[in-house]
Amino acid sequence: MKIRSQKDFWSGLMFIGSGLFFALWAMEFYQMGTAVRMGPAYFPTVLGFLLVALGAIVLLQSVTAEPEGDQAVHTPFNIIDLLIAFGIYAVLIFLSVKSGFASEWAILSATIVVSLLTMWFRPDAKPLVLITAATIFYGYLMKPLGLVIATAALVFISALGGHEFKWKEVSILFIILILFSVLVFVKGLTLPFPIWPEYFS
Amino acid sequence: MDQIFHNLVIGFGVAVTPINLFFALIGCLLGTLIGVLPGIGPVATIAMLLPITFNLSPVGALIMLAGIYYGAQYGGSTTAILVNIPGESSSVVTCLDGYQMARQGRAGPALATAAIGSFFAGCVATIIIAVAAPPLAEVALKFGPAEYFSLMCFGLIAATVLAHGSLIKAIAMVIWGLLFGLVGTDVNSGVLRFTFGIPELSDGIGFVIVAMGMFGTAEIVANLEMKEHREIFTSKVKNLWPTKQDFKDAWGAVLRGTALGSALGILPGGGALLASFGAYSLEKKVSKHPEKFGKGAIEGVAAPESANNAGAQTSFIPMLTLGIPSNAVMALMIGALMIQGIAPGPQVMNEKPELFWGLIASMWVGNLMLVILNLPLIGMWVKLLTVPYRYLFPSILVFMAIGVYSLSNNAFDVLIMGVFGVVGYICAKLECEPAPMILGFILGPLMEENLRRAMLLSRGDPTVFFTKPISAGFMIGSFILLLIVALPAIRKKREEVFVEEG
Repeated sequence: MKIRSQKDFWSGLMFIGSGLFFALWAMEFYQMGTAVRMGPAYFPTVLGFLLVALGAIVLLQSVTAEPEGDQAVHTPFNIIDLLIAFGIYAVLIFLSVKSGFASEWAILSATIVVSLLTMWFRPDAKPLVLITAATIFYGYLMKPLGLVIATAALVFISALGGHEFKWKEVSILFIILILFSVLVFVKGLTLPFPIWPEYFS
Repeated sequence: MDQIFHNLVIGFGVAVTPINLFFALIGCLLGTLIGVLPGIGPVATIAMLLPITFNLSPVGALIMLAGIYYGAQYGGSTTAILVNIPGESSSVVTCLDGYQMARQGRAGPALATAAIGSFFAGCVATIIIAVAAPPLAEVALKFGPAEYFSLMCFGLIAATVLAHGSLIKAIAMVIWGLLFGLVGTDVNSGVLRFTFGIPELSDGIGFVIVAMGMFGTAEIVANLEMKEHREIFTSKVKNLWPTKQDFKDAWGAVLRGTALGSALGILPGGGALLASFGAYSLEKKVSKHPEKFGKGAIEGVAAPESANNAGAQTSFIPMLTLGIPSNAVMALMIGALMIQGIAPGPQVMNEKPELFWGLIASMWVGNLMLVILNLPLIGMWVKLLTVPYRYLFPSILVFMAIGVYSLSNNAFDVLIMGVFGVVGYICAKLECEPAPMILGFILGPLMEENLRRAMLLSRGDPTVFFTKPISAGFMIGSFILLLIVALPAIRKKREEVFVEEG
């Protein structure tokens, strides 16, 4: 048996996996109820198994159907890399929360570690990693350090993910964006964002 | 007829007050702006502005948000024609022929055709809403849970059938979305589902967050992975006015595009995106010279651009009359109504006629503004396109992050957006369309709710969906759609249409 379409093969597995997860989790932990009085497990279980069935068809097609066009999956990482990265991320957060760190700092440090690891081992994944990391930084730096530092993190980290990075250009862009954010969103629209770190104000 | 006229008079009375004209102008300007800029769409923009609308009047808020949606359809075509990048997802097919026209030095007529087609479609769609909405609201008042459930099934299936790519994958994505939509507190039992002990998940995942991740960050990453090369035909935008021959070629396409777009927009699951794809494939099928498509056929610009504008506007019909969001933008509109303390549904028309008719009249006013904004001022928008992407994407990210963070001032939402960004990236690589998933995500809780109620009322008898006439109609419609696509001959045709030449 030969996999003719990598794209269908992996999407099939993805659908089967998540369908099984939703259905089994619902059956295990929630009330099924009856067709008349449906419990919280009923709808997710039905949908979950439907998803498994559709995933199985897609999987079957990946080995039988004649492929059209490019059916290879062009990602700079494979499924094992992805699972390892998510695994390390989850374990790091779990461990640092267990050992008494606040969850924000746990997530931030785990994000740094996983980003660096990915860029070291899979340099082509740089755009994906840096864009994702930049938004996570923005979210978790906002409360403790304020809008200015959070925006700086977002702009500089995400710009590193682009094709070319020039300090001068990015700094000017940052100044424009932070002025706009403060004037329009904080002053104009009165969104309750802290501008500077709590410590100073 | 008199009644409609009377209603439109009320509507225009509301729409042309200076303050509402101002909101329409702001909406159209913003809409054109984000339509021109690739990588930021109406969903993200409306989501960002949602918290602000709290301070506005309900009519003003809706007029502005609606302007953003249909304004984006005008702006999206500019980028598609001049840069070969869809400024908006609904302009994807406009790239095919619009860009070729630009390469042949006919960017001007292409832009003008898109704008005039859009304006015509906008006028027709406004009239359709005014004529069709009241009787539909009458019917909707009779809808029970069984009818609502079947209607949503029909809408979801129609959305997948007409979307491009594999049908089974699209349906699987819908179900995936339905499942993700169930995360959070179950309204019937109060049980927390799939929250894994994370308190932030107990209210469910906001669909704005999912949409921004799947469409926003995933899109930016995809753009960054490609080498930056853009060929912009800015200097060649001369002689805007199409020739007589162009008019002759385009008017039929505009009419068909408007008709199909209006029809597809009404379907739950429809809207601008579906309309433009449908119109392009229809045009290719009826054309005497299908080989001209992809090589700069003016019909290939006129039809999808008329259709997406018509679809954008008629997609307000299910939202206004049934309270069902047919796409992500309409779900945000419902959010905007809720913020104002208005429960969307068939009763809005009778209880708040000035809101309902004011919105409709403002659409016509807005379309007029858009023609003025887009044709004489085209040079200004073209200038925007010369801004390199390396300045754009950090800016887009800043606005997206502010928008998501301000939803509930919670960093966890931003983390979820990041996760769905990665999911969206992988889906794109596997050729799994995110649009059906978002739709499923929005409709998930509504469908479950109506399924439960219908089954409770019928005492567990599932045939209720087939014995009630309206419900049976929707169900039969869904089966016919599925059957049509499953037939090999038609499936082949459908694939042909979506295999792009260029």
